[in-house]
Amino acid sequence: MLVKYLLATIVAGLFAGILLTPAMYVRNVPLILHAEQFEGEGGHSHESDHAAQGAAATPHEHAEEAGAELPLGRLGNTLLINLVAGAGFALVTGAAALFLGRRITLQNGVYWGLAGFFIFNFAPAFSLAPELPAMPAADLAARQTWWLVTVLLTAGGLYLIVLKDFIWAKIAGIALIVAPHLYGAPEPDNLTSPVPPTLASEFAVSTLATNLFFWAVLGISLGWLLQTYAQSELEV
Amino acid sequence: MAATSTSNTISIPLASRMATAVVSLLLGVFIIYGVGMAHSDMLHDTAHDTRHSYGFPCH
Repeated sequence: MLVKYLLATIVAGLFAGILLTPAMYVRNVPLILHAEQFEGEGGHSHESDHAAQGAAATPHEHAEEAGAELPLGRLGNTLLINLVAGAGFALVTGAAALFLGRRITLQNGVYWGLAGFFIFNFAPAFSLAPELPAMPAADLAARQTWWLVTVLLTAGGLYLIVLKDFIWAKIAGIALIVAPHLYGAPEPDNLTSPVPPTLASEFAVSTLATNLFFWAVLGISLGWLLQTYAQSELEV
Repeated sequence: MAATSTSNTISIPLASRMATAVVSLLLGVFIIYGVGMAHSDMLHDTAHDTRHSYGFPCH
């Protein structure tokens, strides 16, 4: 077991998770709080003709404020989750590099970060835009399935494009990346939303910018930490 | 490969990095699933803002 490698990976993830938290509070969290004011206002008036989809289309049937969250406060919970999530994305990135026999370094770290951003944020968001609370949305399980399939196809496509030299591999890679968008993400039958469209468009852009920042920090710190502390484990 | 001081490839064989790669991947996937997709109320409510901000399908 390459213990230093694993530890350096986790530390890089925790660091990126810490920095993600204030970045989220610049735009994303204020927009989420604003959107939550519209929860319970809409979504119920258009249900009569969509009784079958009612359960799926009704935004947010559970109360957010009286939730089952950990008792750390909103900021504390988000910081905790970001730390854990940062470690998770770092571990997956580090694992990919090990499988591929590639080294993440200070010089190429930002490209690993950009790849992660493209796979986990940009590609899914292209057809399934980041949602605010109270926005209409299709069935949760269907959206999660689409998100997961898109992430896997995009990762496979990027691998074929970047790491294979054959022209056919690159064409296949593009096809894999485009396929989920041609298929289309699940959409709600009724797009009427109680959330003002300006908030939604601002949120879509601000989340992508925030996540780009997160992945750039993650990639660079992964490269620096692995190069500084785990280099010896990767040499014969 | 360019003559840089740090190589971009790992010189140890796949067999000796496979265990770490598998552990790292499984742990990472487990964490991402818990943060972003698990249907537990406790996880959902705690991770709420991160799920929205990260673009995970939510609600």
